[in-house]
Amino acid sequence: MLNFRFIGRQITAAKRQGAVFVLCVALSMITLVSLGSFNRSVNASLLRDAQSLHAGDIIVRSHAPLPAQVEAEIGRLAASRQLVAARYWDFYTVAQKTNGSGSLLCDLKVVEPGYPFYGKVVLASGHPFHQVLTQGYVIAEQTFLDRLGLRLGDRVRIGKATLTVRDVLVQEPDRPVNFFALGPRVFVSARDLSGLGLLGLGSRADYVTLAKVSDRGDLDRIAAQLKRAAGDSRIRVETYQNADSRVKRFFDNLLFFLNLSGIFTLLLSGFGIQSTLFALLKEQERTVAVMKAVGARSRFIIGHYFAVALILGFLGSLAGLLASLALQLILPRLFSGLIPAQVTLTVSGWAVLEGLLIGLLVVLLFTALPLYRLKEVKPRAILGKEEHQKLWTRATWLIAGSGTLFFLLLVLIRLQDAKTGLYFMLALAVLILVSYLLATGTLRYLRGRQPGNLAVRQALKGLFRPRNATRSIMVTLSAALAVIFAITLLEKNLDASFVESFPPGAPNVFFIDIQPAQKGDFARTLGVQGDYFPVIRGTVSAINGTPIDPEKERQARGDNLAREFNLTYRDTLLPDERMVSGRTLFRPDWSVPQVSVLDTVIKMRKMAVGDTLTFRIQGIPVEARISSIRTRTSGGITPYFYFVFQPAVLADAPQTFFCAARLDKSSIGAIQDRIVKRFPNVSVIDLTEAVTVFGRIMARLSTIVRFFTSFSIVAGILIVVSSVFATRYARIQEAVYFTMLGARRRFVVTVFAVENLLIGLISGAIALIISQLASLVICREKLEMDYNPYPLESLTLLAATVLLVMCVGMGASMGILRQKPVVFLREQGDE
Amino acid sequence: MTILESRAVTKSYAVGKELIKVLDDITLNIEEGEFAVVKGESGSGKSTLLTILSGLDRPDQGRVLIEQRDITDLDEDTLAPLRNATFGFVFQSFHLVPSLTARENVMFPAELRGDPSARDKAEALLHRVGLAGRMTSFPHQLSGGEKQRCAICRALINAPRLIFADEPTGNLDSVNGEAILQLLLELQRERNTTLLMVTHSQKIARHADRVITLRDGRIV
Repeated sequence: MLNFRFIGRQITAAKRQGAVFVLCVALSMITLVSLGSFNRSVNASLLRDAQSLHAGDIIVRSHAPLPAQVEAEIGRLAASRQLVAARYWDFYTVAQKTNGSGSLLCDLKVVEPGYPFYGKVVLASGHPFHQVLTQGYVIAEQTFLDRLGLRLGDRVRIGKATLTVRDVLVQEPDRPVNFFALGPRVFVSARDLSGLGLLGLGSRADYVTLAKVSDRGDLDRIAAQLKRAAGDSRIRVETYQNADSRVKRFFDNLLFFLNLSGIFTLLLSGFGIQSTLFALLKEQERTVAVMKAVGARSRFIIGHYFAVALILGFLGSLAGLLASLALQLILPRLFSGLIPAQVTLTVSGWAVLEGLLIGLLVVLLFTALPLYRLKEVKPRAILGKEEHQKLWTRATWLIAGSGTLFFLLLVLIRLQDAKTGLYFMLALAVLILVSYLLATGTLRYLRGRQPGNLAVRQALKGLFRPRNATRSIMVTLSAALAVIFAITLLEKNLDASFVESFPPGAPNVFFIDIQPAQKGDFARTLGVQGDYFPVIRGTVSAINGTPIDPEKERQARGDNLAREFNLTYRDTLLPDERMVSGRTLFRPDWSVPQVSVLDTVIKMRKMAVGDTLTFRIQGIPVEARISSIRTRTSGGITPYFYFVFQPAVLADAPQTFFCAARLDKSSIGAIQDRIVKRFPNVSVIDLTEAVTVFGRIMARLSTIVRFFTSFSIVAGILIVVSSVFATRYARIQEAVYFTMLGARRRFVVTVFAVENLLIGLISGAIALIISQLASLVICREKLEMDYNPYPLESLTLLAATVLLVMCVGMGASMGILRQKPVVFLREQGDE
Repeated sequence: MTILESRAVTKSYAVGKELIKVLDDITLNIEEGEFAVVKGESGSGKSTLLTILSGLDRPDQGRVLIEQRDITDLDEDTLAPLRNATFGFVFQSFHLVPSLTARENVMFPAELRGDPSARDKAEALLHRVGLAGRMTSFPHQLSGGEKQRCAICRALINAPRLIFADEPTGNLDSVNGEAILQLLLELQRERNTTLLMVTHSQKIARHADRVITLRDGRIV
């Protein structure tokens, strides 16, 4: 039978610890619940608007004109009125002002009448899209007009055609987000396609056919028919129900990562819950001893304190839910530009239920150990004798083991990816273990130190104050900070690598789709030295005779073999390449066609020198044996190719040329104008512009990641606060004794400040060591780029950590410093 | 010569809505080198008087003077060095800093003054009271008697003019209590220190030069 008055008194008596407990529970669920809710909202919206997000029922995509048999099948189905079809072509090209005074890379979409079958292209004029987009006209985004200094009615050269800008694009249904575009969207009517003269053999473009079926019941059958017609070509036939939109893929990946961050926060908050409850129960040890002395059983006592934990946990869950709801108001701003306009963020009942469940599980998981240890409080503690309890018994191992297993299950369920889940758990374990070892080593070293300054010496002693959770604070803070620091360092390195600088002499402008016949003339027009690479589009269809399953390949989180590759041929290594397997690029002793592969490909699928790859190039199968494996020695933006063939194999294949050149920044505009005027089919990619887009995306993503990771810092701060509360008595005692013995207030404040400074400094330093090592490994091994440790920025992070910990620690200690010595001494006398 | 003086000191505490007068018009003088005992029953106000005379608390009315200097309205930061240099404290509950060893506890007041020989003085005092072998022990590793001897050393390290002792034998058995009392008196005489002790023990009072008896907050 529970004594509710006792439970109520315990909660009110430990108000401060209780508040920290509630906050920790709230914090443990806030990220996961808000992300879960956000994910559901995005998915629901994408599913609800799936037809308009794809603009049709069936989507047939290709990187080349559709094979005749597919065209024929579509024609047959259209003739029998089972569907209506509309094609569009999507590619980058450079548009130019008619007077040649300006040009701009734009994302061209050439559409046939009928597009879009679902959804609506919204124009600034409000007129219907199909009435505005007629032959001779274009519709463009406002930025297109702004950057070229055009107005409606002005004419613009695109390819070989001169077209009139007729309206401004506000929104298109199948590109809900344009955050990732390298240039503004421009719509052109398909009647102008041939006039543009931009699509040659091997040109880089998406060829898409949209179909609207007459009877929705026939959807899958018709899709299957088209798939059969496509055969084993790399053409993708999808329905709006199973098509994976880029937006969805992007969100799946981002939310996957943010979920990792949420789980990390949950773990740290869990430690906070555990240490707070340990402190709360430690304060009640004498009460527990008295209860036991008068005959109460452990089960009775644990039951009551479990009820206390459950009530506080319930309050925390409610607070977490409310905070998650509040976060739904912030998320649209945080993700602005990244989420489609039609996404409406709502909080589902399922999210609420999930939140309460997570809250309950977190409370059960992290309170088990402190509650169990109540069993070990002996009645003789009534005499105030501190008993050294054995920390690890069979029962505590069992509790810790069950907790770990349970946490692993939570990770696997949440991530739905066993391999990543296990890696994540392993990384977490390593992070916490390294933090623990470094904190323990540092504390052990400090324990024996005797600094000359009295205040510093007392502060050092304070770190080892009984009940001080110094090590727990350091481990939690340093683990959380290591993640934040590593994100910052990686972001800085990526910025440096891609955004801020191009190495002297490295190319900064790429010219693509140069036809072989144009090469000589192009080089003369360009007027500067450029590197030319033949490009042949092709796919990998089999490895050692085993066909590639494109669907399975596309499920990979990173790059995959299902996509189309740019193949090239040459017989020398590039200056920034070296061999990692094989002595020469090609083997003189082999008579079969050979291909050298970049080591990045090996990471997609295991393969080795001697294996045979089958490619499809313009529909023709080409078998080649792997003669060598190369790697890149620089991470900069220089051209590289996954597959390099012997010239003899591909020299006669349909190809275009790709040119990389280093141009003076001030001359890029003029050269672009000159090239586009003479070679309208050639696209000019100004990398300085491209990296600006990339930098914008990186900055936004890192803001989002940092926002969610900052919750783990809050968990660390709560543990600092909890530790101050747990040691409140000891701190007051010290402050009073120091004052009584003649110490000024400044001395006491200095002791507490130095203690917090040490905690912040050590935690920050450990975090910095771990994050530097982790970032170094990620940059060198995963991103294959140079690493800069950014010492100044690192020291700034460290200083910020110290400041934060000092502010929090001193803030929580203010009440202690205000305590009057006589009040404390009188209370002691009363005892 | 008068070292400590209280003039019409009054102190009240609020208990709920009721105001309880703990000290009522206390006027007394303590002479240099004197061993004075403040005696009284539990709740008579003797500990409150000690905290007010030692500057740990302020009276509601009246004045407190140390060597003719009025300390009644001094702020904490002005009182702190005075307490450090002039006073020593010995309490019933010892009040040793738990995170410091016996030697560090004793050294602490001298270190606050910046005394370079703090360590030597602490060790000499600990030797003197028979704690040479317990210098690196923490308070929780010491017995009650050892803790109190350590507290006495701490009270004496800065050679204070005045020692305030609040029931110094209250938490000790009779043998240890007697030993501590003798030690305290011995050191007091050796150093000609003034000792103001609060106790309810008639036996201790018999050793005093003067006994001040409090009843219901008034000297009787």
